[in-house]
Amino acid sequence: MTHVWKIAAREYAAYVQTLGFWLSILLLPVGFFVLAVAPTIVQRATPPPALAVVDFSARHLAPEIARAIRLETAGGAPPARLVPAPGAPFADAFDASRRLRPFLAGPSVVADGERLDVVAILRPAGGTVAVDIWSRQVADRSVAGLVSDAVDRAIRRQALARAGVDPAVVAAIDHVSASVTDFSPKAAQGKVALRDRLPGLVGLGMGFLLWMSVLTGAGMLLGSVIEEKSSRILEILLSSVAVWQIMAGKILGVAGVTATVLALWVTIAGVVVAVRYPSLGADLADILLARGLLFYFAVYFVGGYLMFATLYVTIGAFCESPREAQTLLGPMMILISVPLMFMGQALARPDSPVLTVLAFVPPFTPFMMVARVAADPPPWQIAATMALMAAATALEVWVAIPAFRSGALTSGRFDLRTFLAGLSRRLD
Amino acid sequence: MGAALAIDRLTKRYGQVLAVDDLSFEASRGRILGFLGPNGAGKTTTLRMALGLVRPTSGRISILGQEDASKVRARIGFLPEERGLYRRMTPVQAMTFLAGLKGVKTAQARRRAGELLDSHGLGEAKHRQIRRLSKGMAQKVQLLSALAHDPDLVILDEPFSGLDPVNQLSLETLIRSLATRGATVIFSTHVMQHAERLCDQVVLLAAGRKVFDGTVAAARKVAPRSVVLEGPFAGDVLSGLRGLNGLCVERLDGGTLRIVATLDPSVPAQIVLGEVFARGLPIDRFELREPNLHEAFILLTAARPDVGCAQ
Repeated sequence: MTHVWKIAAREYAAYVQTLGFWLSILLLPVGFFVLAVAPTIVQRATPPPALAVVDFSARHLAPEIARAIRLETAGGAPPARLVPAPGAPFADAFDASRRLRPFLAGPSVVADGERLDVVAILRPAGGTVAVDIWSRQVADRSVAGLVSDAVDRAIRRQALARAGVDPAVVAAIDHVSASVTDFSPKAAQGKVALRDRLPGLVGLGMGFLLWMSVLTGAGMLLGSVIEEKSSRILEILLSSVAVWQIMAGKILGVAGVTATVLALWVTIAGVVVAVRYPSLGADLADILLARGLLFYFAVYFVGGYLMFATLYVTIGAFCESPREAQTLLGPMMILISVPLMFMGQALARPDSPVLTVLAFVPPFTPFMMVARVAADPPPWQIAATMALMAAATALEVWVAIPAFRSGALTSGRFDLRTFLAGLSRRLD
Repeated sequence: MGAALAIDRLTKRYGQVLAVDDLSFEASRGRILGFLGPNGAGKTTTLRMALGLVRPTSGRISILGQEDASKVRARIGFLPEERGLYRRMTPVQAMTFLAGLKGVKTAQARRRAGELLDSHGLGEAKHRQIRRLSKGMAQKVQLLSALAHDPDLVILDEPFSGLDPVNQLSLETLIRSLATRGATVIFSTHVMQHAERLCDQVVLLAAGRKVFDGTVAAARKVAPRSVVLEGPFAGDVLSGLRGLNGLCVERLDGGTLRIVATLDPSVPAQIVLGEVFARGLPIDRFELREPNLHEAFILLTAARPDVGCAQ
């Protein structure tokens, strides 16, 4: 076991002592922070779009749009800013669109020196109102939606008023809504609270965390083995220690690196949660410890990591460069992306037959079960998936050991036939 | 005391390819054995089988008295043919790590690494990252890494390849010092000069089969002696001369010719010289050349049947 620790320690130190490692660790929290504040920063830095309303509907709708903008602003940044239409008045909607179009296409500015972003032309259409939205940015539908909602509300009120309904009654009805409360036998108090939804969210979060860990850890392992293979250090290692010791040492070393990264991220997240949302932190700790989720997460985490790490280490032993590894990494990425597509479904439908079946496919088991386990699947499913995962991992390791040795001693470019022959070496 | 390495009827087959064919030889303890052969002769495969890296198809191996190489790993030093080290490690770190895998305690391994590096002129570079060392220095570190645990058996696969002449000489000295210390050294090469200078025993391999096993002197005797004649005579002047075969003619400056011919082992050189004088040939030089290992190698490996023109 001493040799395993020595190899693991070297592997760990090789990553932890580099500046790139610490930069990549800090990048994720910084990335999350930027992701959280970026919309606000962009919104603050960008002036609200300038909107000109040309109303031919004869229904006095422009003030309704102005009111909607005021309501949406509510102390924050306004969603749009009303400006007079340059060149008004217009003969008709066609004239307005023809004359205002150049203001949206080029650098032309409206009278007050600013660019025009959106033009809303309201015109009568068979007893109702048609709204033509002309925009500088075709992808931005926010102002169009705001105008459309405001016009809808206004013409409905006008229709109700024409039908003799008191405007005060209409205003009162607008505010009527049902009071919905979620209950579930699984909720601690019967009534579903955030705390009851937390286990599912935590499971999903852990599933993604496992996915990221596997991907980053496996990538590190692959790079490390390729480096040792191309420099023939692997051959020296093979002459010094057993194959399983090399594989175990490398996998353990990179697991240590991944654990360091996770520990740092969890610490940072824990501090943020404890400071900003102290009760949420207590709930999370309670969920993880009291319901045994931490144990299940740990088992599936270890199983999943070992399964993919062994595979990547073996692939690395057959490759002299990362480019060669790409031949196999493509299918691997497709394989590892499958649980990513289904994990989200586990939050709403953890007992779905598709998810249950996927949980019994060994490469998907760790991800699917981590995401499902918080929804209390039948105990036999937990036991069976764990047993299946353990058996599949043991089989994989059994096949991988001679394959690794075979790969480490081959030279030349990666060849799929050699790789498959290496995998079948145990069966010789 | 048994052999450090005993190989008995060893065969390795990769599918239809016979890499090593019924090979047997022994390497005595404390001696230097040269494992010679052209590229693809099966040298590396044999060494890998000896180290337990590759499983033989048939045959037996005894290494340091054990049939299972994994039991004596700690007593073996190995340098593979193509080599490198962890580029971001320093020589001391790399050597300490590799010696540690051979069971040497960290403090002892570090001290031993420092001593080895100091004594081989790498003292100033021992705490510099290997990627910042010259190629020659890095190769020296790689070699020393195989020796940091004081192995009883050192297996070096093509250790001279890539080294400049100065470092080649330095490596020869190191190999001799290992044998003096009592270690057995087995090295593969296809550069005969190194084997000729160093080896107590050579084993020649060709197409997976052993073609010679013995001392360097015995190997040399396998090749015929040759005669060199120089003088201003015509090219066919020696035709019909008794005892000379495979004439190789080279025109030198000033109109003289150099003729190199294989000497029939049954004909003494004096007879040839006597006939030359008897014919009245104007010779400037007559030399009886003893065969070298290179010529024996070529002959034994059937790389070229006639060695008459070898220089």
